[in-house]
Amino acid sequence: MSERRPRLLDPHFVSKLTRLDLTARLVVEGFLTGLHRSPYHGFSVEFAEHRQYMPGDPLRHLDWRVLAKSDRKYIKQYEEETNLRAMLLVDTSASMGYGSRGVTKLDYARQLAAALAYLMLRQNDAVGMFAFATGRAELIPPRSTLGHARPLLLLLERLTPGGATDFASSLHSLAERMTRRGLVVLISDLLDDPDRIAQAIHHFRHRKHEVLVFHVLDPQEVAFDFEREAVYVDLETGERVTTRPQELRPDYRARVSAWRDQLRQFCIEKRAEYVPLTTDQPYDRALLEYLSKRARLL
Amino acid sequence: MPIFSFLNSGFLAALPLASIPVIIHLLSRRRLPEVQFPTTQFLRQLEPREIRRLRLREILLLILRTLAIILLVLAFARPSITPRNGVTTSAAAMAVIIDDSESMAGLDEQAKPRMEGAIERARALVLAARPGDEMTLISATRPVGAATEHTSDRVRLGRSLANTQVTMLPADMAGALLMARRTLERSRLKDRELYIISDLQRSNFDAKARAELGPIAAAKVRVYLVPVVQSRVPNHALVDLDPVLRPGPMGRGLELRARVANYADAPSDRIAIRVRHGDALVGGGDVTLRADESRWTAMPLDWRGTGSDSSQSSGAVLIEADQDALAPDDRWFAVLGAPGRLRVLRVTEPREGAASPRFASLALDPGKDGRSGFVVDEVSPAGLLGLTKSRYDVVLIEDVASLSTEGEARVRAFLRDGGGLVVALGPHSDPGYYGSRLFPGVIDLGLDGPEQAAAGGSYELRARLPGHDVLNGLNVGVGAPLTESRLTGVMKARTLTTRPEVVVQTTGGLPLVATSPGVAVFLSSLSDDWGDLPYSGAFVPLVRGLVSYAAQADAQGPGSTRVGEAPAARLASPPGAAVIVRGPESYSSQASVRAEGTAYRAEADAPAIQPGFYDFESGGRSIATVAVNVSPVESDLAVIDSDSLRAASGSGSSTLGSANALASHLRDTRRGKELWMTFLLLAAAALAGELLLGSARTLRA
Repeated sequence: MSERRPRLLDPHFVSKLTRLDLTARLVVEGFLTGLHRSPYHGFSVEFAEHRQYMPGDPLRHLDWRVLAKSDRKYIKQYEEETNLRAMLLVDTSASMGYGSRGVTKLDYARQLAAALAYLMLRQNDAVGMFAFATGRAELIPPRSTLGHARPLLLLLERLTPGGATDFASSLHSLAERMTRRGLVVLISDLLDDPDRIAQAIHHFRHRKHEVLVFHVLDPQEVAFDFEREAVYVDLETGERVTTRPQELRPDYRARVSAWRDQLRQFCIEKRAEYVPLTTDQPYDRALLEYLSKRARLL
Repeated sequence: MPIFSFLNSGFLAALPLASIPVIIHLLSRRRLPEVQFPTTQFLRQLEPREIRRLRLREILLLILRTLAIILLVLAFARPSITPRNGVTTSAAAMAVIIDDSESMAGLDEQAKPRMEGAIERARALVLAARPGDEMTLISATRPVGAATEHTSDRVRLGRSLANTQVTMLPADMAGALLMARRTLERSRLKDRELYIISDLQRSNFDAKARAELGPIAAAKVRVYLVPVVQSRVPNHALVDLDPVLRPGPMGRGLELRARVANYADAPSDRIAIRVRHGDALVGGGDVTLRADESRWTAMPLDWRGTGSDSSQSSGAVLIEADQDALAPDDRWFAVLGAPGRLRVLRVTEPREGAASPRFASLALDPGKDGRSGFVVDEVSPAGLLGLTKSRYDVVLIEDVASLSTEGEARVRAFLRDGGGLVVALGPHSDPGYYGSRLFPGVIDLGLDGPEQAAAGGSYELRARLPGHDVLNGLNVGVGAPLTESRLTGVMKARTLTTRPEVVVQTTGGLPLVATSPGVAVFLSSLSDDWGDLPYSGAFVPLVRGLVSYAAQADAQGPGSTRVGEAPAARLASPPGAAVIVRGPESYSSQASVRAEGTAYRAEADAPAIQPGFYDFESGGRSIATVAVNVSPVESDLAVIDSDSLRAASGSGSSTLGSANALASHLRDTRRGKELWMTFLLLAAAALAGELLLGSARTLRA
């Protein structure tokens, strides 16, 4: 499968491209090209163009007037018109700066956010962005114009990892400020107190927002494939732990698995979508999850 | 004291490789690296106790890795240890007895010729000989004549070995052992070894041969038994032949009797036997034998078409049995005499004025015409004065009270001349006379007097030695009754030595038929004084069996010469010129002639080395032919228990049961016992231990 995947969906390849606007566009176009049936070019209210009828097309979209006048079969195509408002929440805490295979979690989150923003704007959705960490947060309110992509991408390019993950203050304040209901897309490694994460998601849900959580982890965080005994330093707290991966690997994996299960469980309870990702996975899974969520919302 | 050494010591230079795990261990312990990680909330700090346990395990792993490398290097260096019986540092004197007897012509368990295996083993010994080693090859059949000189010349030894062949001779293991001991005692070398390459036939290691092993052990000679077979291979053989043709059943035709033996732990298949006269098949028969049974088998002869007169048939015949593991003993060469009749002198006493009943005479010659093969004359004890070997073959003394001094002397002279004696002790016989006068020197039998069965009781006749010549014609098993007839009285007797054979006994274990060579005693009446035996079907074969057995004292015909003995012939008249004996495989020998009674005896100067017919020629004319056959000693292929031989040959002896075992022994004792495989296995074990210990979880979750 991975052999046939467009290279533009491969995080390692995309990370080598420098211009985020270009890469976001390439990712989305590559993704859409790979889809068999585009949810992007759907049937909505605003007429876009005619195309010749092909066997298999539903007859309800047949333009009967054209058929009556010219005796030719054409299908009417429409551009979607939605009032979806999406807010991309990107975690920029220090732990997001970790990357064992050349791509940090923040790189991955940045690229994913850019691709999502580009896709949303192409669909005429309003997109905003909120980058947060302890003691620092930046907000760009949602807008639906294509030109809005530029400030979003500029923000993403500026992001650097630092500080601790702080769901309590950052997200609660954001939730208070988002008055119109919409879609909240959280891209984070969720390395915070699970209760506080749960409260934040609950807050968004309470304000009638739909929540989509992309839980981004490095493959090494899941597998813990280190070989040698070492002192492991916490990127956020600076805590030092001396341990032997060979001995404690099964224990570590069990704990991480339990933690992810716990996150998934409360997302289900709060009716939020939980999508676990690792930085070696292609972006198409995340984009598909988004489109699927959007389809359910509209 | 064992000596440890390395055959490839150059590999020891690789021993420093063992320090690699130590170096890696020390380098890795210098400083722990720091690893930046998103969070440590899922990691657990090791406790000091756990760290100690891990350190201990690391040390164990380090030891195992180092040990594995050391053992591997040592294995490549081919460590070896010289065993207690090793001769790595000195030359050795070796005597190698090669069994080249007839039995080595047989096949082993894999149907491979035994001699081939023996030569292969002997060659391995010659090839393993080092400069300074001395070796003698000794033939087991001709220890004096066919031994090589004690030499270290491997070329000569190899050439001698190439000429070694199976002979048709029986093994003289005692002589071979004596020869080996004397050779080794003369050697100036202190390390002395004796290898016995043989099929280790039980029959070859008699008491004399076993007694020779003691002095060999005392001379500090290490004895190695090198068997070429491990188990008894079944074999049947023709072991004897009655050279006198007998009338067939009911006096019609002729029959020849051969003794066939089954040397096996199981019954034989049907063994077909054929009699050939030149190229013509003149007779035959078949026999099935029980385990370890030998039996006389009668074969009818048909001389029609051979140009011979059936009534005067004689000549050279070859008797062949089906071939099996050992072919030479499946043939028997014989020169048959003219059809003969046994001449019997029956001695009886009139009873109460009347002649005694003639049951025995009727059993032997019912038609009074000799067609049964027996001619019977009847006399009173006084008639014994006419008893000579020239007139009679057997004297039958039937229920005579006692003999006169002259009569007794005549009987003893008759026995000395080769005549046979049958005595039947009925109610009129004087046990005191027979027990103290006639029997001493004739048969070791003591007599206690007549004994009558209790009122209403009787004695049964039960076979004790089935297959005995007396019972020829009565197909019975051990303990089986010969007949339904009963005896009411017996002459109570006991054997004084182990020599007499009790062939038939009563239900209570009283002897009824006792035999010694040329003598058969029936310890009851051959008349109807004591029971109804003469009226039973077993009476005729029993009486004929008694007489025939006694007559065999003189049955040593020309066919009894064995390979290894000088062929000899009895001549009626002196030869007119020098006698030359010619035999198979270009055998030729002068013969010396001497008078023997009224005849002459010609005996070849050289022993026969092959079975077959040997012609005595004088003046270019054949004057006699004799047959030579293989010794039955070699026919029983039962293997002696090597433990018993080892026990007799001292603690330094051992058995090398296969060619591989011999090769391994030579390698170990000449170069030292190689331990590379042991070291390799230990290295593998160390690596396996390292893998197990390395993969085992030592910390709690």
